Amino acid sequence: MRRNKFLMTTASMLAATMFSASSAYAACATDGLPGTMAKPGGFPERALAMIVPYGPAGGSGQVAQAMAQAVTELTGVSINRDHKPGGSGTVGMTAYLAMPTDGYTVLEHIDDASSAHALDSGRPNPAEDLIPLVISQITFSQIYIRTNEDRFTDWDSFVNWVKAQDGKATIANVSKEGSMERINMKYLTDATGMTIQQISFDKGAPRYGALAGGQVDALFEQPGDVRKFLDSGTFRPILTLLHSRPGVFADVPSLKDAGFDFEPLLRFRGFYVHKDAPADRVEWLQWAFQKGFCEPSYQAFNEKKFMNLIESYRDTAGAKELITGTIAQYRQVYKELGLEVK
Amino acid sequence: MDAYANFINGTITLFSDPMGILIFFGGVVGGMLFGAIPGVSMLTLAAILLPFTAHLSAEHGIMLFSVIYCTGVYGGAITAILFNIPGAPENAPTAFDGYAMTKNGEAGRAVGAAVMCSAIGGTVAAVIMMLATAPIANWAISAFGPPEIFALVFFGLAVAATVGAKTLWKGWLSILVGLLIAVVGMDPVGGIERYDFNMPYLLAGIHFIPTILGFFAVSEIFIQAEKKATGSFKAPKISVDFPSLAELLAHKVAVIRSIVIGFFCGVLPGIGATLAAFMGYNEAVRWSKDKSQFGKGKLEGVISSETANNAATGAAMIPLLALGLPGGALTAMMVGVFQMHDMEPGPLVFLNSPDLVWVVFAAMFFANLSILLVGYLETKTIINLLRIPFQFLAPLILLLATVGAYAVRGLVIDVLVMFIAGAAGFFLRRSGYSLAGIVLGLILGKIGEQTFAQAMQMLHFEWLGFLDRPIASVLIAAAFLTILSSIYSAFFKKHAQ
Repeated sequence: MRRNKFLMTTASMLAATMFSASSAYAACATDGLPGTMAKPGGFPERALAMIVPYGPAGGSGQVAQAMAQAVTELTGVSINRDHKPGGSGTVGMTAYLAMPTDGYTVLEHIDDASSAHALDSGRPNPAEDLIPLVISQITFSQIYIRTNEDRFTDWDSFVNWVKAQDGKATIANVSKEGSMERINMKYLTDATGMTIQQISFDKGAPRYGALAGGQVDALFEQPGDVRKFLDSGTFRPILTLLHSRPGVFADVPSLKDAGFDFEPLLRFRGFYVHKDAPADRVEWLQWAFQKGFCEPSYQAFNEKKFMNLIESYRDTAGAKELITGTIAQYRQVYKELGLEVK
Repeated sequence: MDAYANFINGTITLFSDPMGILIFFGGVVGGMLFGAIPGVSMLTLAAILLPFTAHLSAEHGIMLFSVIYCTGVYGGAITAILFNIPGAPENAPTAFDGYAMTKNGEAGRAVGAAVMCSAIGGTVAAVIMMLATAPIANWAISAFGPPEIFALVFFGLAVAATVGAKTLWKGWLSILVGLLIAVVGMDPVGGIERYDFNMPYLLAGIHFIPTILGFFAVSEIFIQAEKKATGSFKAPKISVDFPSLAELLAHKVAVIRSIVIGFFCGVLPGIGATLAAFMGYNEAVRWSKDKSQFGKGKLEGVISSETANNAATGAAMIPLLALGLPGGALTAMMVGVFQMHDMEPGPLVFLNSPDLVWVVFAAMFFANLSILLVGYLETKTIINLLRIPFQFLAPLILLLATVGAYAVRGLVIDVLVMFIAGAAGFFLRRSGYSLAGIVLGLILGKIGEQTFAQAMQMLHFEWLGFLDRPIASVLIAAAFLTILSSIYSAFFKKHAQ
């Protein structure tokens, strides 16, 4: 009963996610917010700091830069980014929690913070220990093959080929066990009954190079990260891990087309402030970051990264719902995997 | 012929635009300056400039980064030679003999060799890049998967064990200590937390830059301070003499070998200039008839390291431009510059923006050449820093090193690591262990562990699978031969005497 309720909640969340990109542009999500907001008690009187728990060149580094630029364009307040990579975001989160809770420091983080809390409740819960200002990127995953591949041409022939290899087929994926990518792959292998060796790459470039160079047979990734390979015709997707087909990938089968009913996990990136920050300052930050989402420069950035294919925006309440649902889903899978959930 | 015409066109485009010229020389000088300050590296400059490139044209933005890359790798050699502070990890092997030369009163020769060989290595790599970017990139990613890269790392470690330590066993122990330090933090395969002692900051692992700063700069200050206290301190003699052309020609084999090694390492995504410099240095030692002089101020040590690391810069642009695969942090930032201008590096760049590609190629070619001119002027001036008395210079170096260690990730633990490494280095150097071996073990340990795990996954956990891959088999065989020959040299020859 609880499981059904949980799945229904997740399904409804995903259904809400399926807004088309064009509608997001025609009327941006935060158009209803006021165009300006008075600074509460003069806050912020100086530049804000943003801790980014990943390097400047990756997905988090790029979204942090784009949002900082958008907020600065909107408010005139500078944001200094401080990258503290390591430990799958743990180092940046620890550093952030040690900072003063005056609202002058915000945090960028991804769904890894949710999965870390799901496995160990001693780790911060992004929906409770922090206040999500905005989730500004939500995306889905796909399975890619080389365009010049001739051993298989689509999802069905790929699955058949993998099964015929008796466990010798390979797919490049991220390295961390229990991550969004690994869990989604577990869903796929359970649903198809195929056995495929996942090769662990913790950085994007070697992962993509492994597929381009023929070192692996397929790749698990999100479309924005491999857009250049799609545009150049080097890779092509054979399965979209959503229940419907986004317009750009109208010719790629979805989970529903492939006959799967599991709820895929999504990648999301957002911005947070400490829960003990003064309420009036939090309110101003919520306004600035949520309005920042609709700034033309940020919208252009999201479009470039394929982050406009499904609704990428969540306000504080929506973000909390997304994070809480995601944590519950991770917990369930971890228990099924036999992992020790603390 | 096409390449030649394109190069001429790229050169004309580059130098016919005043803004382009300004950005070019700004990048040359900025790269050298930031490269020369420990910790505050060319990456720092690139990160600062990244948002501003949105206001430049795509040609200017990408050209600026490629110029910074070329000159930044050279810039770190200066402090490595003068003060034993490598500006970046790829300059660490330069310090082995470069600083010894400074102590011998040959700073000018060492810096001069670094200037000339950086220019030669980078220029040759830039020419190869212009001639054959696409085929080389495709060959590299097809021929070199995780098993081959692991085999290359294994070979590198086998050679490194024979360099810098008093005995073979101390060489291997040094490597093993480096490998042990490399396993601190999350494992690169399953994300398992190791040796973190419940300290979240240790989950990020021990970074090699604070370790290098501690082992080289801080330990050197301790050693010199001890000498000062005991009255045996001697200030280095100042010399601004460049090496002669004949001297460089005498090392032509080392230069060519290092270009090949540097280019080869640079073209592999994720390997880059650091391994190139170490491998270039190690091979110089291996093929030398007088190995005992390395580490004591041998010009060939500086030549090999600096040629290889600059050769790697041109090579690293190949997978970036041809395939969109950045080989390191700076090339990854270049992807960001491309994206700011609605472009993606990769095969389409050659089709859609050939002008941009050739402006970048021309800029890298001339940036490497300009190292000669700017480096010459720098040599004649910066060496005079050695005239500052030790009691004033030492605190300045400690301050720079501390800032450098903290600047890597903004973590205080990195400063602690630097001072611990400094104290450890002080004692280890007296005991005949190889600090270079520890650093190389640390750097290659992370790459080696990951590629080994990937290789085993790809080979379905069958060890003999390495033998099915020709390049991996040759490299592993070469590694074992190196180990056996070094054991033979260390024991049997000794007993024969």
